[in-house]
Amino acid sequence: MSKRSGQTKDGRTVEYVEVPDPPMGGMKKVYFSPDRSYVVAFFHDPQAAADANRHARLDAVLGRFNPTTDPEAGEYWKKLFCWPTGVLNRPTLGVVAPAYPPGYFFETGPFKGKEKKGKWFSSPKLRSYLPEAERGDWRNYFQICILISRAVRRLHQAGLAHSDLSCNNVLIDPSRGLSVVIDIDSLVVPGMFPPDVLGTPGYIAPEVLGTTHLPVRDPKRVHPSARTDQHALAVLIYEYLLFRHPLRGPKIYSAASAEEDEHLGLGAKATFVEHPTDRSNRPPDLRPTVADLGPQLADLFGRSFVAGLHAPDKRPGAIEWERGLVKTWDLLHPCLGPKCPSKWFVLHGTTAGPCPFCGAKPPGPVPVLRLRKEVRPGQWLPDANLVVHDAGLGLFDWHVLANVFPGERADRTRRGYFARHQGKWLLVNEGLASLTSPAGSPVPPGAAVELKPGAAFRLSKEPNGRLAVPDFLPG
Amino acid sequence: MPEFTGRRLPIYLVLDCSGSMSGEPIEAVRQGVRALLADLRGDPQALETAFLSVITFDSGARQVSPLTELMSFQEPTLEASGSTALGEALKLLELAVDKEVRKATPTQKGDWRPLVFLMTDGQPTDAWEAAADAVKLRKLGNVIACAAGPGADVNPLKRVTEVVVKLDNLQPDTLKQFFRWVSDSIKTTSASVAQVAADGPIDLPPPPPKITIVP
Repeated sequence: MSKRSGQTKDGRTVEYVEVPDPPMGGMKKVYFSPDRSYVVAFFHDPQAAADANRHARLDAVLGRFNPTTDPEAGEYWKKLFCWPTGVLNRPTLGVVAPAYPPGYFFETGPFKGKEKKGKWFSSPKLRSYLPEAERGDWRNYFQICILISRAVRRLHQAGLAHSDLSCNNVLIDPSRGLSVVIDIDSLVVPGMFPPDVLGTPGYIAPEVLGTTHLPVRDPKRVHPSARTDQHALAVLIYEYLLFRHPLRGPKIYSAASAEEDEHLGLGAKATFVEHPTDRSNRPPDLRPTVADLGPQLADLFGRSFVAGLHAPDKRPGAIEWERGLVKTWDLLHPCLGPKCPSKWFVLHGTTAGPCPFCGAKPPGPVPVLRLRKEVRPGQWLPDANLVVHDAGLGLFDWHVLANVFPGERADRTRRGYFARHQGKWLLVNEGLASLTSPAGSPVPPGAAVELKPGAAFRLSKEPNGRLAVPDFLPG
Repeated sequence: MPEFTGRRLPIYLVLDCSGSMSGEPIEAVRQGVRALLADLRGDPQALETAFLSVITFDSGARQVSPLTELMSFQEPTLEASGSTALGEALKLLELAVDKEVRKATPTQKGDWRPLVFLMTDGQPTDAWEAAADAVKLRKLGNVIACAAGPGADVNPLKRVTEVVVKLDNLQPDTLKQFFRWVSDSIKTTSASVAQVAADGPIDLPPPPPKITIVP
């Protein structure tokens, strides 16, 4: 163990601690800085330094494609990506990147100190080994899916593709609902630098897996791209919300060998386990299903794994996932079932429950705010729903105003919260400038509106301000 | 414990425990198996798919640990004595694979091709040729054979598999490196197994300095 120093392309000296058995990935070995706040990763391949493409890609990733240097939202993106901060050219080619925050290492249990790769949480077998506190509740997985979609959306917006999105390259912290995309230095810019990875089994798009037998330069060979990222993203979301793989079911594709069976089953012949008409790959105990996740997500999964599985152009974009997940987030309701593994479920349809994870029903009617926006003066159309509960959260700008999206630039100050008081449901104003009661009188901060069935009220009188209509769903 | 229904990656460690391994070498092998297990138990891909079995051989051969998932695997007791019944060990390996590894059939998902690490420090003392040919001919799995130390004979191993590595010596540090390399190979294979063609070679990580691949 000895302290060494390297030099970045822009002339900075970077210290690291050399150890005999450093952690290794497929392409790099990794050393920590003396204070463990950052890591340096050197490429195994001695030829890497001579690869002009690799240099150009690293320069682009650190420079013009770098979201973490964005003056407005850079700090936000630093939490979602472990983005490299420097390229080393001495002693050999490498990258400098922030160390993962402590929340991404197990704090308790048999795997204490190990990185929280997504696989630990999406595999039922591995989940069973984890302490309860590390598993997190279902709402946190929802938040993780939103953050991953947002990160991928940001990459795609800039024209980048990750090319190897998988449970290995996204660390998640279900106990806090956080995620970070890692291994950023192999990003690809379509048409500019050729992708140098195939992906990770289980996340490789069918058209990529189905053409691996062709030579690399064959025009029919399909390479990783934003389209294939969209497949990997849908697989990740499916796994984190339902704890199973969307394509690995009971169907036998080849009796010749496991390898051929897998190659067909995830490639040319891949079939969604929840395909609505082709039930050949459907496991016998398929509960809950995408239908239990509400209409938005059911539609997105259908487009990903039915319509778009073998038609990449039909796959939903990362931004659609982000929107669909954010909308569905507002439908989450706590489950009080004593044995519920999830603690939350998506409340949709015309009755409240039962919870698809445990079968419990919420006691009493559940209020839902039907939100409407004004499309023409006096004409209000339904455009969102917010399930009301008193388990934290509440009302934010994106509920109040129809033109605000809860993305990286959103103001995350709570404007109001819901409380149950003497059998009544109240919306308590915390920071809404023009909340108005159903009767039309102003409700200042500190005061509350009682939610009564059908009694509509304005959340805001500003332009784009929404109208809320309380609806009570029977349990 | 939920029932595990996914494909398994069966790993067979076939270890020479003949008298010449006694003392430091067998202790290094014990520690190597222990370290291998600890390392694999910390890797989510390996923990998900890899199942481990240990077959030892001296004057005879026995399967000291049947194919078991990593979390329930009990470390076997390894003692060194006797001669080097390589043929017996290979026959037992064939029986174990036939019995334990699920075949792909029209009604059953098969396991991945087994990964076999065969280590010996000497020369076989029994009739081993037919068993070696059977293992190679049947393509029992991806077999990596290791000739450990100066007394090990490479030629019988070459008859079992194409992939033979040689350890310079039986020093604890060399054996430690070997087991670490075995662990890295298992991790690489469990992560990439779905990409491998049915009878194609697997990608092994480059061996550390004291281990050389015998061409």
